[in-house]
Amino acid sequence: MTNRLIGYSASYPTLRVIICLKELGLPYELEPPASYQSLKNEDFIANKHPFGKMPVLFDGDFRITESRAICRYLASKYQGKHNDTILIPNDVHKAGLVDQFISYELSYYDPPLSKLVYQEKFAKKFFNKDPDPEVIKQAHEELAKVLDVYEKLLEGKEYLNGEYSLADLVLCPGTNYVYGAGHSDLWDNRPNVKNWWSRLCNRDANKKSFEEIKSFWENN
Amino acid sequence: MTIKLIGKSLSIPTVRVIICLKELGLPYELESPASLQSLKDEDYIANKHPFGKIPVLFDGDFRITESRPICRYLVPKYQGKHNDTILIPNDVHKAGLVDQFISYELSYYDPPISKLIHQEKFSKRLFNKDPDPEVIKQAREEFAKVLDVYEKLLERKEYLNGEYSLADIVHTYYVYGIVTHSDLWDNRPNVKNWWNRLCNRAVIKKSLEETKSFWENNENI
Repeated sequence: MTNRLIGYSASYPTLRVIICLKELGLPYELEPPASYQSLKNEDFIANKHPFGKMPVLFDGDFRITESRAICRYLASKYQGKHNDTILIPNDVHKAGLVDQFISYELSYYDPPLSKLVYQEKFAKKFFNKDPDPEVIKQAHEELAKVLDVYEKLLEGKEYLNGEYSLADLVLCPGTNYVYGAGHSDLWDNRPNVKNWWSRLCNRDANKKSFEEIKSFWENN
Repeated sequence: MTIKLIGKSLSIPTVRVIICLKELGLPYELESPASLQSLKDEDYIANKHPFGKIPVLFDGDFRITESRPICRYLVPKYQGKHNDTILIPNDVHKAGLVDQFISYELSYYDPPISKLIHQEKFSKRLFNKDPDPEVIKQAREEFAKVLDVYEKLLERKEYLNGEYSLADIVHTYYVYGIVTHSDLWDNRPNVKNWWNRLCNRAVIKKSLEETKSFWENNENI
């Protein structure tokens, strides 16, 4: 039975799940909601996401929300079944560290990154608001400090936990947006970070997903 | 080998891990950092937490940071070994839902209630800033909407995922905010009953009493 994913591929939490499905070799159907406003409809709230958000995944009758929780569920259930890609190691210590790095992404990397994504990609196009240069400047500076820490975390390592894992995946969609929106210096000026990002961009699932998104923005 | 936890027993994320350790029946040593400022020392950043935060857990030589990952590490490794408490179900679907509820806590529950706690308990004490009534009002309204969703989530359920789990634990330690804004819980029957059930668990009861008593004895400091 195919996985059914409700969301917009342009929305980077949805893209996070799309990349995960691709990495695991899982077929899926993407079902975009009618509109952002439709997420607040009674029916969506009752049957899809109680807080009116996306993405939402249906694996048969099983419904799960929240992109990182969805990815962890898919990895636990399906990794190794369609290909050799391991996103969460079996060893409890390594798995603990992958989880820790996902928490770093959520706590420290994503807040300034998501501000930049909103300002540079969504504010004008979807909400008819001009980007705010003050917010952009502050978020850029905050993300620079976070990437200084990542530069050290990646010392002597190809990926955050040594081998490629969900810890790297969760960062990819948002980073792709901000990297391409005039902030590439943040990654390019830090050798470990730069090499890591190049490696990630060369993964098939990312290459394909980023291409699909690029054409979305070009056509809209 | 005993587990070593670096943190402060008043820090919400530290208490999260303490409750988890106690629920699993695990002995541990709590080591408080010298001060909040010491978390930014080079040595702390290099050897404890690269972002200068608490808590940090050492299980022998193994170091792990971030309170929810620490709990998610402890549970698969130790649950069922010292007692019967199961905090993450073995079934992949149930475990997925526990993880989803932990994400709800992080995404929707924590932001407004942390604002309330910061304003009412920490702002003056740690940062010498008066509480801002506008921020408190807005945070309270936002939190009321979140609890409306929880009221529905808890319909016909004793705990968020049916049975008690890590999903409930991560919600429990916000006692400071709860004490001041108890009407938000008391006006919603499912939420109120859930909270009372949690407060009656031995580990949580003790932890909340200790925290409540600290604040009662230290109001004016």
